[in-house]
Amino acid sequence: MAVSGCGTSTNSGGGAETKEITVWLMDGSAPTTLTDALNKEFESANGIKVKYEVQKWTGIQEKLTTALASSTPPDVIELGNTQIAGFADQGTLADLTADAGQFNSGEWLGGLKDSLTLNGKQFGVPFYAANRTVIYRTDLFQAAGITTPPTSRAEWIDAINKLKAANASNPDFQALYLPGQSWYFLLSLIWDEGGDIAKQDAGKWTSTLDSAQSKAGFEAYKALYDASATKKAPADTDEAKPQQYEVFQTGNVGMMIGLPWELGSAVKDKPELKEKTAAFPIPSKKAGSSAPVFLGGSNLAIPTASKNAEAAKKWLALLSSKKYQDMLAEGGAVPGTSKDTSKLETNAVGKALAASAPNGKVTPSSPKWGAVEAGQNPLKDALTAYLSGAKSLDQATKDASDAITKALG
Amino acid sequence: MTAVKTTETAAPAGDIPPALPPAVTGGARERRRRGSAFDRSLPYLLLAPALIAILWLIGWPVISVFVTSFRQLNLGELVRGEIVWTGFDNYATVLRDERFWDVSLRTLVFTVSVVVASVGMGLGIALLMRVLTPWVRVALQIAMLCAWAMPILASTTVYQWMFDQNYGILNKTLVRLGFDSFAGYSWFSSGTSTLSVVGLLIVWQAIPFLAFSLYAGLVGIPRDLYEAAGIDGATGWQTFRAVTWPEIKSLLMMVTFLSTLWDFKVFAQIWVFREGGPSGESTTLPVLQYLEGIAKSHFGVAAAISVLMMVILGLITFQYLRKLLQTEEGKI
Repeated sequence: MAVSGCGTSTNSGGGAETKEITVWLMDGSAPTTLTDALNKEFESANGIKVKYEVQKWTGIQEKLTTALASSTPPDVIELGNTQIAGFADQGTLADLTADAGQFNSGEWLGGLKDSLTLNGKQFGVPFYAANRTVIYRTDLFQAAGITTPPTSRAEWIDAINKLKAANASNPDFQALYLPGQSWYFLLSLIWDEGGDIAKQDAGKWTSTLDSAQSKAGFEAYKALYDASATKKAPADTDEAKPQQYEVFQTGNVGMMIGLPWELGSAVKDKPELKEKTAAFPIPSKKAGSSAPVFLGGSNLAIPTASKNAEAAKKWLALLSSKKYQDMLAEGGAVPGTSKDTSKLETNAVGKALAASAPNGKVTPSSPKWGAVEAGQNPLKDALTAYLSGAKSLDQATKDASDAITKALG
Repeated sequence: MTAVKTTETAAPAGDIPPALPPAVTGGARERRRRGSAFDRSLPYLLLAPALIAILWLIGWPVISVFVTSFRQLNLGELVRGEIVWTGFDNYATVLRDERFWDVSLRTLVFTVSVVVASVGMGLGIALLMRVLTPWVRVALQIAMLCAWAMPILASTTVYQWMFDQNYGILNKTLVRLGFDSFAGYSWFSSGTSTLSVVGLLIVWQAIPFLAFSLYAGLVGIPRDLYEAAGIDGATGWQTFRAVTWPEIKSLLMMVTFLSTLWDFKVFAQIWVFREGGPSGESTTLPVLQYLEGIAKSHFGVAAAISVLMMVILGLITFQYLRKLLQTEEGKI
């Protein structure tokens, strides 16, 4: 391989001899129009080839682990924003704090910046984000006499009741499809009530799920779960089992809380839904504002063992420039290093995304959080136990709180 | 070598007369012993490449797991290639965690239940096959082959849908039959219930192999033994006890042993259903190992769990292994 042209080159000083860099991006993250243009510009400007590879999300943790352990790891990798702290903590990612300036750090998306910051240092560059919005059927809203999308939680519940009344003849109708373990949405409600998953004190994380504010978030979830009367929505699965867009496709669902791709998948199989769907930000309990959302997304990082770190930084700098960030926005994602989202706001879903993204938050940036999500998530267990009545709210939140404190401690 | 000597002296004195006169067998052995050193070592030389390959393929990973269990090996150490010895720390971590003991007990109960159910039903079907008319038997065999050929994850997905809370055929059928409380009933609300469904799936997946193996053993039993039992007026149960059982006992032990190994380390089915949930109540040892090793990237701790799993498995199958070694010795 051309990469190892000079085996003795040091980690940082290898820039001069670099002939090729390897870039790993994830499946479906950047449109090919963007990567083609970016790589072409990079190659002609620097005379360095880009070996661009697309990875699948399935099993990526294992694949990254083995790749990072090898002597010639990829030079740029994409990491989910909940994964990055774990990799950074183990010293596998290069510290980019000093270089942040060349990556447009003034415009970084707050939520993503938090996710890649560990002990005050930045171990990556924000790539893109997406968050959940309420995807709804405009035709059903109209038929139920709801003229404007709800902008407060009370209005939202009101809309649910109106939808139910208007579709009372359909036994399979669900005003809001809300499965019992939609924990990213639970986070929205907890944050909206002023609670949080955990707080950091002198470097130690303690869960605050059993605080009064967090409990209010659980109660709000139950209120919506009960109001939507989703007899058909299971209490013990999340939005992916079954895929909620498949349920939405049946036409018996008024709303679902989903990511843009979920609407995309629903519309792809049922093109007639395209004209009948739109989205609004998750309403806050405070009238007129939207609730904080969990910011799902990715960051880009340079492995410590990369022999072409300087060239990789140049590639990242180019990607952080406005031209390519606009292309990301055009592709339907919230760009990571540009605050300008005008290219995204060309449709209802894009507008709802752009409206709530600055208000986006992330899970605790503890190196151990990844294990909570990859393993048995106590938040999901707490929701199921509470909604099904197996545990009281106090008990369920206390158990989850203990489990998370233990996992992060 | 001692084993060979024992048999030689023991064979002529045995109760059962050997098929060949002792003189003939003895003569053959004498001649072989007189061959050159090369002749004697030839079989071993011919076996050596295969033996080395097998040791390398099987032995090395086992040694590697064992060695890893004494190291602190997290993502950082793995990436930097550091070797940090921690002695028995990993074992202490695992053994001090009360969850490990809960999970071990659960795994044992689960394994025993699944093995008993699958071997029992496999034997039942094998016995049934012998008395069926040929075309029914062929139909049954084809059906079992199809079940056997189905990939694990495919059949797991089918089971998930069958037991689905809202769309599952099981709940729908039960409601049709008049059990209204099963409308929207969740089969995965507790660990016991989840593991029962997983167990059912594993039994279903295991039965074809067990039934075919045991059937093969059954057809090997001479018909005249049954005729003789029939003439003596033995009942069905007596025939089974006196004729069938002694003939298939060793085969049955072997498939039980194999089933134990397989069912003890089942992972995919349990993980796919509820990832060891709800609240970790369907977590078994392989799932725990995955949670520690892959989810938390604590490869040293996961290796320690692996070694402990081998120890537990060794203890369960100890009796069988002992018998196996004894009979082998006796036969050489």
